[in-house]
Amino acid sequence: MQIETALLIGALFGCATYLILQNSFVRILFGFVVLTNAANLLVLSMSGNPAGRHAPIVGSVARPLVDPLPQALILTAIVIGFGVTAYLVLLLYRIFLDQRTTNAAELYEDQDTSEHT
Amino acid sequence: MESNGILLLVAVVLPLLGAPLVALAGRGLGRRVGWLAFAFPLISAGTLLSLAARIGLPGSEVIEWPWIPTFGIQFSFLLDGLSLFFALVVSGVGVLIFFYANFYLDDHYEHHGRFYCYLTLFMAAMLGTVLANNLMLLFVFWELTGLASFLLIGFLHHEEKSRIGARQALLITGFTGLLMLAGVIMVWLVTGTYDLAVLLGSGLPLAEHRGWLTAAMVLLLLGAFGKSAQFPLQFWLPNAMAAPTPVSAYLHSATMVKLGVFLCARIFPLFVENGLWAPLLTLVAFTTMLLGAVLALLANDLKAILAFSTVSQLGYLIGYYGLGPAHGVEYDYLHILNHVFYKGCLFMVAGIVIHAAGVQDIRQLGGLRRRMPWLAGVCLIAAATMAGVPGTTGFLSKETMLKEIFEAMNGHGALGIYATTCVVLTSLAKVAFSFRFFANVFLGEESEAVKKNFHAPPPAILAPPLILAGGALLLGLWTGPLDALMRGLAVEGLHQSAPHLALWHGPTTELFVSLAVMLLGLGVFVLGQRTAWRWAAIPRRLRFDEYFETGIEHFSKFTKWLTRFLRADKPVDYLPVIIAFTLCVVGGFMGYALWPSVRESAGAWTWDALAPHPVRSFVAALIALSVVGVLILRRWTTQLISLSVAGFLTTFYYVLYRAPDLALTQILIEVVTLFLILILLGRFPRSSELGEIIHRPSLARRRLNVVLSLGVGILMTTFILWFNAVPHPDRIGRFFTERTVELAEGRNAVNTILVDFRGFDTLGEITVLVIAMLGGLGLLMRYKRTPEEYQEGPMGPPGLGIKHSERREEP
Repeated sequence: MQIETALLIGALFGCATYLILQNSFVRILFGFVVLTNAANLLVLSMSGNPAGRHAPIVGSVARPLVDPLPQALILTAIVIGFGVTAYLVLLLYRIFLDQRTTNAAELYEDQDTSEHT
Repeated sequence: MESNGILLLVAVVLPLLGAPLVALAGRGLGRRVGWLAFAFPLISAGTLLSLAARIGLPGSEVIEWPWIPTFGIQFSFLLDGLSLFFALVVSGVGVLIFFYANFYLDDHYEHHGRFYCYLTLFMAAMLGTVLANNLMLLFVFWELTGLASFLLIGFLHHEEKSRIGARQALLITGFTGLLMLAGVIMVWLVTGTYDLAVLLGSGLPLAEHRGWLTAAMVLLLLGAFGKSAQFPLQFWLPNAMAAPTPVSAYLHSATMVKLGVFLCARIFPLFVENGLWAPLLTLVAFTTMLLGAVLALLANDLKAILAFSTVSQLGYLIGYYGLGPAHGVEYDYLHILNHVFYKGCLFMVAGIVIHAAGVQDIRQLGGLRRRMPWLAGVCLIAAATMAGVPGTTGFLSKETMLKEIFEAMNGHGALGIYATTCVVLTSLAKVAFSFRFFANVFLGEESEAVKKNFHAPPPAILAPPLILAGGALLLGLWTGPLDALMRGLAVEGLHQSAPHLALWHGPTTELFVSLAVMLLGLGVFVLGQRTAWRWAAIPRRLRFDEYFETGIEHFSKFTKWLTRFLRADKPVDYLPVIIAFTLCVVGGFMGYALWPSVRESAGAWTWDALAPHPVRSFVAALIALSVVGVLILRRWTTQLISLSVAGFLTTFYYVLYRAPDLALTQILIEVVTLFLILILLGRFPRSSELGEIIHRPSLARRRLNVVLSLGVGILMTTFILWFNAVPHPDRIGRFFTERTVELAEGRNAVNTILVDFRGFDTLGEITVLVIAMLGGLGLLMRYKRTPEEYQEGPMGPPGLGIKHSERREEP
């Protein structure tokens, strides 16, 4: 049982959700980064309790190893998560340049007023 | 078997494959492409005739190729009397219609290739539907006919009424077709087969699965009602008359709308024992019949009169199966053939008249007998057939119908009386509008519109209606071939041995009723002539299409309102809706489906097992603390530092989970992310940061955010606890650790998975990175530099030409 990991992941997901629900670009971005980490840890918890096991490097002596598959998946996920984060950073920058705001709600407020007039 | 299969493929699949070629050839050939397309119905009719000869009717044969055998779906065809009868009608009328269309679609029309492509496609789909043995195949072809019909009705799509008519036809036939699919699947669930021949052979277990099969029957019949324009869906058929007349004559009178009739005949042996069969079919069909006849009497448009009378006649044909005794019907082929004769003929006549006179309102026509005497003769025969005048097939059809209805009156009680009333009233109206159709177009004084617009049609266009009218007259007088046809094409279960047809049955009740109806109908006609049909107009209340259009309009308004209500057009407000919905669905599912297994595993939840690992707990608390810092802190830079701390601590957490590769990667990525976000924050104006602190969302919204976040957190924690409560006995990861040295020559299993076992996944990962990089580059370079910026040098100011120093001060 990995009670502390479960609680940590729950806390990370909760915080990430709260950040993403904000209007500020910066907070949304931070929320996304936290969400990436939370998802990675979620997959990691699937490899089971590591107590009494070793890193998945096969040695000459036979010994219990942790499951390598979640780790391989996470390794890929970390890199892809970074790629998406980088794209998000540039996207927010672009929106700021075009719309002159770092507040997501303001984007749509502008749209409303232009529709009505 | 082998050669029969080839013949069948030639009849059905050749036009299907040939249709696109017709469209291609139309580009070069123009209107002459019609003669190329004319070959397809000829070939199909010929091969079907030879097939009918080879099978040795009244036998039957199944020709089958595997298609999706896993699901019991075969490319399978059933050749028996019923399917061959319909197939021959389709291809035979097809020959006449293609011929007719070649004269009708003159150079005023465009896109001849496309038109004949649709028409050929339609014919192939029709043949496939009536010949199909597998119910799934039947459904596929069935919907294909609806699609071709949609394209043909909307062929003149620059006119609004064509578009509306096409949309109505597609929505109604398509939707009811889906209901039919549900019925087909329900039959499959009960019997385990889609094979019609098998089902007809063994019958349905009606007694054991009563409710289920009744539902299946109702669904199948709804499909038939939609296709055959039965009440209350009858309104699409008159609106489908916006199509060019050959299409109206072919699809919407002679063939496609008869698919409902065909389906009723096909499933008659399966469901006739069901208690709901007779009342459902009788009520719906005979109501349609009466309504259609009344509306035909009230209509003024030539094609509308014919369209409503088609609706009426379809009710007649379907109702006939409804009242049929359980051991089989007798004269269904006669009724269908009779309708094909006169209605196809009348539509072609109407088309010629519209073409020649340029108007299609019957009140503006008249006196055409002098200009087109031959056409008048043809029309007279066809109208007499429609009215049921002795000496035509119409008379035979009406006599036999009346006879059976009188018999059914004894058997079916109230239903029989209702049917009789409807049939008598309908026959009366039919007599009246048949005479009106002929008299007001061909007799009387020549109208102004005719004098002004008339141009003579080519004489050859008269051939197809002449053939049909000739058939009606000839077979009406000489019943021998009809007898032989009905006997030869009889299908076991559907037909009882057909008795002899005769012109003169003696002085029976039917004859007197028939005469009375004829006289009364003439009376109505004379009355109409006296009053110049001033009362003839379709009341708005009976125009169901208006309700349908209003319904469609309201539906689209409703969806728009729903979108606005859920704030789907505003992501900022829509996100909470999505998250709340996910929470409800996933949380609800977990609570409902997983709770028992969680309770079972409760034994494993001892304190020892739950006892947290001290080092991990410490690190986890630190990570959580620093992430909460991101929430609480107000300055962007401090938030970022807090976030980075959490990231680096996660590295340590990976180490605790015996994952050195992950820890290495995480450190590198964390550093790069830190720099990247730092650069971004440097470019955002400070005023925005201060604005965030001042302008916070409303209290209610913040509370909602907290509730949603707590919900997500609790859900994820529960999920992990539940998942880890029962470890999987056979992990796939064991394979990699056991075989990594042997297969991949590497000791580190994580590395070998990435570069060897799942190498292509890594390639995909790299591709994602490349796409993200290209996308990011595109975002940066979209800014077009002004000439002044351009002159500052090849690279311009920092940020690929973006002067952020100026912009920072602006907001």
